Amino acid sequence: MTTKTGTSLELEYRDTNGFGAAQGGRGYYLPVDLAVRSDGRIYVLSRGDAVQGGNGIKITDIEHNWYDVISGRGRSPGEFISATAIVFDANDRIFMADEELNRITIFDADHSYVTHWGTQGSGDGEFDGPSGLAFDRDGNLLVVDDKNHRIQRYTPEGGYISSIGSHGSGDGEFNFPWGVTVAPDGNIYVADWRNDRIQRFTHDGEFIDAHGTTGLGENQFHRPSNTAVDTDGNIFVADWANQRVQVFDKSWNFQTSIRGAGELSVWAAEYIDANADEKEARSSFDPYPELDVEDPHEVSARTEPYFWDPVSLALFDDTRLLVLETGRHRFQVWEKV
Amino acid sequence: MTTTTKSGTDLDLIAHLLRRAGFNPTWDELQEHAALGYDGAVDRLFNPGPADPMPSDVIRRYHPDQTITQIAPSSGSVWMYRMSTTKTPFEEKIALFWHRIFATGQTKLIQGKVMLTQIEMFRKYGLGSFRDLLIQLSQDPAMILWLDNQDNHKDNINENYGREILELFAMGVGNYTEEDIKECSRAFTGWTIANMPYMSIRMRNNTLRPYGYVAWQYKFDPEDHDDGEKTFLGETGNFNGEDVIDIICKNPATPAFIARHIYHHFVADELPVPQWPFEGPKDPAAIQLMVDAYFANDYSIGAMLRAMFESDIFKSEEKRHARIKSPAELIVGTLRMAGGFDWPTQEIFKATAACGYMGQSLLAPVSVEGWMGGDDWISTGSMVQRINFASDTVGDHNKKGIRQIVDRVAERHPEGNVDPEELLDDLLELAGAIHVESDTLAGIVTYASQQGGIDPRTEDGAAKIASILQLIVSTREYQLV
Repeated sequence: MTTKTGTSLELEYRDTNGFGAAQGGRGYYLPVDLAVRSDGRIYVLSRGDAVQGGNGIKITDIEHNWYDVISGRGRSPGEFISATAIVFDANDRIFMADEELNRITIFDADHSYVTHWGTQGSGDGEFDGPSGLAFDRDGNLLVVDDKNHRIQRYTPEGGYISSIGSHGSGDGEFNFPWGVTVAPDGNIYVADWRNDRIQRFTHDGEFIDAHGTTGLGENQFHRPSNTAVDTDGNIFVADWANQRVQVFDKSWNFQTSIRGAGELSVWAAEYIDANADEKEARSSFDPYPELDVEDPHEVSARTEPYFWDPVSLALFDDTRLLVLETGRHRFQVWEKV
Repeated sequence: MTTTTKSGTDLDLIAHLLRRAGFNPTWDELQEHAALGYDGAVDRLFNPGPADPMPSDVIRRYHPDQTITQIAPSSGSVWMYRMSTTKTPFEEKIALFWHRIFATGQTKLIQGKVMLTQIEMFRKYGLGSFRDLLIQLSQDPAMILWLDNQDNHKDNINENYGREILELFAMGVGNYTEEDIKECSRAFTGWTIANMPYMSIRMRNNTLRPYGYVAWQYKFDPEDHDDGEKTFLGETGNFNGEDVIDIICKNPATPAFIARHIYHHFVADELPVPQWPFEGPKDPAAIQLMVDAYFANDYSIGAMLRAMFESDIFKSEEKRHARIKSPAELIVGTLRMAGGFDWPTQEIFKATAACGYMGQSLLAPVSVEGWMGGDDWISTGSMVQRINFASDTVGDHNKKGIRQIVDRVAERHPEGNVDPEELLDDLLELAGAIHVESDTLAGIVTYASQQGGIDPRTEDGAAKIASILQLIVSTREYQLV
């Protein structure tokens, strides 16, 4: 039984970073994952679509500085078609997963392409739709093998080590898992997407527990996509189809839930200021109009400040939570209080 | 015409019904509905089970571009998934029907999200009362911005929606006056969307900046509504939009106009709509049948369709294969024959793009008049696209649907190689009770005879059967529905 306890953790909205950049340049377009490098720079995996540009790994920081774009759409080495996840190793090398090409691509700390590896299949050392990445405390790479319903562990160079789970809904089983996170204590958290729960494993892959049922209430999820865990063991869950983030302490006691409160980012405000007609029209904009729909996805589609498909989370300095939204091409910054 | 099915008229008739009320039926669909008898099959159409299509969360996860961007192939693909996987294809056929008449396009609206919301509205209201449907349509944000009703103000009317609801959506030219258009437009003043100035300027500037598209929400603005007295189609009062729709719906011209569209879409190709004011319907009795059903059932569109499906007019031999398949009918029917999609795939974009190449870009009709249909579907270029797509789709014997056809042939012929003529009989039946002319049949039998023995239990035999199916879907007859 989980309940809200005495000293609850709360989150307060602080900032928004982002800008819809379908044509390329500063901003993001259909981003699906983000990661914070050791120096605090924030890397956003901007997946894009099949027609327009704007794809790549976009680099910014917490102060809205804009740095660079690496990679982009294509099938050549160093490119991607359907990128899903990025993660840094201890040497700031970037690892990127692609669920269409079934490969893990490595860039060095200077952003140069190094190599890629991966083979489509269902055997040991093969995967079908890699959708999440995380390094374990030994420096080995955990790869969510989505369509094979398991987590595989590899050396950074792609050497197969072991596997966790199989298809199902029992303890340690998965139904199209999505994101994976390694907590500061080494435990492994998996967003068991179509089972509407988060599963927790030891470093060695032993099942610890699972949390969540299907629904809209507290302690319930609808297609959770990813997690983040802070040094106190607090767990942040991207409750993707419910369009919110739920927060729990390390014993799964519910703490709080946030729906989003995005405002114009620095980049967005500059754009509005530079376009007089849109600026004038936006002056009467009500960001929270009265709606005739209840489905969270539809509500988010019509309410600009709300999270729209909050897909991935990252902690910044262990004090701030970054919530990445595919549908709004931005991430919101929330602070623990 | 030579029938090539084994099961006789009943199965042919069921296939006719399912082709018109859905897409090229699979063998399972044929068997399921044939077991109910014709009347039972009609009843099933109006009382189906769950649609159970590919779930929307699955599409969104693997195609994050499909529900939130402005790109037509992406949003059209959401609908293509639905049509090719649903267990209630009649629902999709109804949505296609209204999409063709209430033609709205993201070419102007820019965002696909509101178009998909409109299509969902067609599923929900498309077989109900025409009054309810017109109210939903008039409050549909995509339609409001498509026909500029956000610019239809109390002190400065914009006639675009007022004109088209009369001309294109409900009554047809010749059944109202220019003054009626003005009065109708006045009644719809104040029917707008939330945050209209900002949403409107973003549409016109064609921009997803700063944070992607914000889906639109209908809003009634009483301050901008003209509540004054109006005279519309001979009646006078302080009409609002709903009152005007009431007057439209009780006018006999309305069901006659809709009935002709139904005939054109479900029974046989009619003249292009612009000729309707000058040329009467091909089959006045069919139109009257549906008009009567409309008035006897509270303006029910479903009652009109049921009356038509149950009529001897619809069942007659001459109405079978009397229409040219729309690109959507051809593509979806062929995809369903091959087994559809189990899970999201990049292949969906090929199907959606092919529909556009054939002349029917889903969610992006060529104009407010929609697609003319009939002979307009066929050109040298579109025929190449049609044949290439259909042939490519059924050419892989490992696809689920093709494998099922092969396995069923094997069940019927446990003895080894199958006689080419018997094989063609089986394939035409198993692929959806398809009819081909005798000379076409002879040509395909000749091809089958040259294959050096076809054993459906072998990989070689399965591949040969797939190649014969490729010929079947490349025929002139397969272009007809």
